[in-house]
Amino acid sequence: MSASVTPLEFQPPEIPEDKAREGYYALLARLFYAGPDAALLAAIGGADEIGDEGEQSALAGAWNRLARAARAMEPEAAQSEYDELFVGTGKAEITPYATHYLAETGREKILVRLKDELAALGLSRAEKAHEPEDHMAALLEAMRHLISMGSTHAALQKQQGFFDRYLARSVVAFCGAISASESANFYRHVARFAEVFFAVESEALKVF
Amino acid sequence: MKHHTKSKLSRRNFLIAAGVGGTATAAAIAAQVVAPDKPQAAASKDKRGGKGYQESAHVRSYYNTAKV
Repeated sequence: MSASVTPLEFQPPEIPEDKAREGYYALLARLFYAGPDAALLAAIGGADEIGDEGEQSALAGAWNRLARAARAMEPEAAQSEYDELFVGTGKAEITPYATHYLAETGREKILVRLKDELAALGLSRAEKAHEPEDHMAALLEAMRHLISMGSTHAALQKQQGFFDRYLARSVVAFCGAISASESANFYRHVARFAEVFFAVESEALKVF
Repeated sequence: MKHHTKSKLSRRNFLIAAGVGGTATAAAIAAQVVAPDKPQAAASKDKRGGKGYQESAHVRSYYNTAKV
């Protein structure tokens, strides 16, 4: 293969709902990759509340609670919380690697299949990224990329396939682990929002 | 084709009803903070030891597109 690789650019899709989906994937990828800095906390905390008129969807409720938590959170505390949960010294309390949640054995095989699939999509790991491709943040970025490819039937099918194979089960277990952790505070809200968002995603990807 | 158009609408309606895309909230944050072309502050220090973890800037582009 040619050695020429270029940084991935995400084109926002035209359909507003898909633009929003892409945004949520981007945001969750960022939050699952590293603790939020002051700018990110401020952006989340300062964002508009969702659906404040009348009844609120579960998504709106979870989002608004996350925004409130972001306003109350110090960046240093959020970052050490991230490190304690996902990095830690020695063994992390919660692993952010999807294959861990997908299989008891044969995780290597899943990772190999994932790498092949990414290669077929024309994606390769950025030089600076050291984490294996099954990192939640990496999977969410791959979905973000697929969403940015458009909203045709074929494009949605690709999204559905990738989501079903790598995210549907793992992300639920991952978020469950965060919610169950006593060290989680800000990330409990991130996990709750992610759970609701991905529940919507699994349904939405069935009805196209 | 007609079938696709119809289901596309029901997918969108489902997303709207679920609260996705009612506002451009997340998209706006993504554009503001996790956009591909903006630098980001460095993440906290590596606690895993070794030289592994780098700054979080590349979250915005974990992937490169391989030109084929």
